[in-house]
Amino acid sequence: MFNRDTWLEIANTVLSNPMRTFLTGLSIALGVFILVVMQGLGFGLQNGVQNQFSDDAVNSIWVDAGRTQLAYRGNMPNRQVKMRNSDVDAMFQQMDTVHAYSRRVRIWGVVMAHEDQQSNFPLRGVDPDHLMLENTTLTDGRYISSRDVAEETKVAVLGATVVEDLFEGVDPIGTYLLIGGVQFRVVGTFDDPASRWENKMAYLPFTTAQNIFRSSDKVDQIILGTGDMPVADTRSLSDALLSWFKDRKVVHPDDARGVRIENNNEEYERFQNIFLGIELFIWGLGLLTLLAGAVGVANILAIAVKERTKEIGVRKALGASSISVLGLVVQESLALMIVSGSAGLITGVGLLEVVSPMIDHEYFKNPQVDFRIALVALGILAVVGVVSGIGPALRAVSIKPVEALRDE
Amino acid sequence: MEWYLRGVIKLNNIGKSYVTGSQKLEVLKGLSCNIKKGEMVAIMGSSGSGKSTLLNILGLLDSFDSGDYLLSGESMSGLNERAAAKYRSKLLGFVFQSFNLIGFKTALENVALPLYYQSIPRKKRNVIAMDYLKKVGLEDWASHLPNQMSGGQKQRVAIARALVAQPKVILADEPTGALDSVTSSDVMTLLREINADGITMIIVTHEHDIAALCDRTIHLVDGLIDLS
Ligand SMILES: Nc1ncnc2c1ncn2[C@@H]1O[C@H](COP(=O)(O)OP(=O)(O)OP(=O)(O)O)[C@@H](O)[C@H]1O
Ligand SMILES: [Mg+2]
Repeated sequence: MFNRDTWLEIANTVLSNPMRTFLTGLSIALGVFILVVMQGLGFGLQNGVQNQFSDDAVNSIWVDAGRTQLAYRGNMPNRQVKMRNSDVDAMFQQMDTVHAYSRRVRIWGVVMAHEDQQSNFPLRGVDPDHLMLENTTLTDGRYISSRDVAEETKVAVLGATVVEDLFEGVDPIGTYLLIGGVQFRVVGTFDDPASRWENKMAYLPFTTAQNIFRSSDKVDQIILGTGDMPVADTRSLSDALLSWFKDRKVVHPDDARGVRIENNNEEYERFQNIFLGIELFIWGLGLLTLLAGAVGVANILAIAVKERTKEIGVRKALGASSISVLGLVVQESLALMIVSGSAGLITGVGLLEVVSPMIDHEYFKNPQVDFRIALVALGILAVVGVVSGIGPALRAVSIKPVEALRDE
Repeated sequence: MEWYLRGVIKLNNIGKSYVTGSQKLEVLKGLSCNIKKGEMVAIMGSSGSGKSTLLNILGLLDSFDSGDYLLSGESMSGLNERAAAKYRSKLLGFVFQSFNLIGFKTALENVALPLYYQSIPRKKRNVIAMDYLKKVGLEDWASHLPNQMSGGQKQRVAIARALVAQPKVILADEPTGALDSVTSSDVMTLLREINADGITMIIVTHEHDIAALCDRTIHLVDGLIDLS
């Protein structure tokens, strides 16, 4: 369909009025450019926020206890609700499936010492699934195992900052350190780039931490993994857990503080929706710009057809079919669209490629264009090209040779 | 009766009128004639007498209101655009007063254009087109654009283009109208040569010298053929 003749014809008309063609091409290129760059920026924002989320597993539910707000069944308000080992066991017992879980105890400011270095760090007692639920990346060694939890072993997994401060370049794996005066063996190290906070921690087996540093059976927090459960199911699960807990701990059903459950799934979904909105907005804006370009192309073609009335008449007299006349105009529109659209696409992608490495912000990362989006944009261009060519093309087809050929 | 049957063009009572606003202008008022295969006919008449209208009808570029038109034995009544385009490309060649070459195409490409619309491959097209450029004596001008050529040369390119698809009939509307007398007679010589190969030729002209070079002349007066 696009042989040398057609290209020649397209080139001729397109170049017969270079300024007009250039301006039309520019508006299309600009439309695509804006679409691509905005898409990239939106993607960067999404990447950044996604990265914030990557601190914790997205598919998780967090259970906390706090002070009550309301009096309930003979209890005064402002009572501290305490979650205990027995509560956790009872909760697991009444749940159908537990995909993953970790209990947590937090102890603030414990003295940790290795040889002549010592400093205060917080620590956490956790279960093995905590690795996944907190999205921790091990840099060396292993994590807390279920055996550690069962046997209350004295092992520790250290955050990057702790290692840096206490070990000064010595490989900590297998060495011992004193935590609150008790000797622990270092079995692993981790780095949690999304949370500098977490890197100041030492993770111990939940049971060990509770027994040595808490000396009560209080649990600070429970994290539940929801696996690949649909968001709606996680919502009903967290609702069910909340009322179950409130009932068990005698907390008023309307109390917002006594027992709190946060569903990361929902949180995440909310962000996803915001991003969907942003994405739609970007597409809308880009498409509108493209539309303006398309109107420009339709216009330039209409003028070109008018200017070529006589030529089209001659072609018809020489045997050109309606289809070939139609093709002449539509192909021209397509070519104009694709060439200038690709120019916009390439500059947009190029700009993002250049700018991307220079940007490093917590909420903004890797502004890039999805290859598929580029393809979709080109597809839309092609469709728009054909559509804007159709009007002028039909006009060209309707030209009667006699009228076109009449000598004025 | 015999030539009548062999007639490549047969018009029977052709009527044509133009309506502009509330006015109706009757241009052809029941015109009949026969043109034999291989004839070279001139059409003359005063300005506005309907010569171009008649030629356009013969060339299937315009429709007629009444009567019948047989081209090569087939009726041309009520043709649609597509069928007309097919007959034009198969049977007819056109030469215009103002040449009507396509400005951005070379002489060779202009001549090859009718073959393009017959889907003949590019290489073959150019070989054939070159042959016809030779025939009109312009092989050295093949790669020139129309605006680099004289009027006579342009008309010869146009004639080559009209010939290239091997039509049965060539229709020429004042082919020498824009040329000086020397060039005009060159073009007429060329047209006579082509006619000698058996191609029917119909030439609209104002000039008696030109008409005299044809086999016979049809005079149009008041929308009818003047037989006097
Ligand atoms: N499309 C049209 N609409 C209205 N009237 C027309 C149209 N085409 C031609 N006419 C009229 O029909 C008449 C015949 O026109 P035509 O062009 O056939 O004349 P002609 O014999 O070729 O004249 P000339 O020698 O000046 O070329 C003229 O009066 C012209 O004004
Ligand atoms: Mg005329």
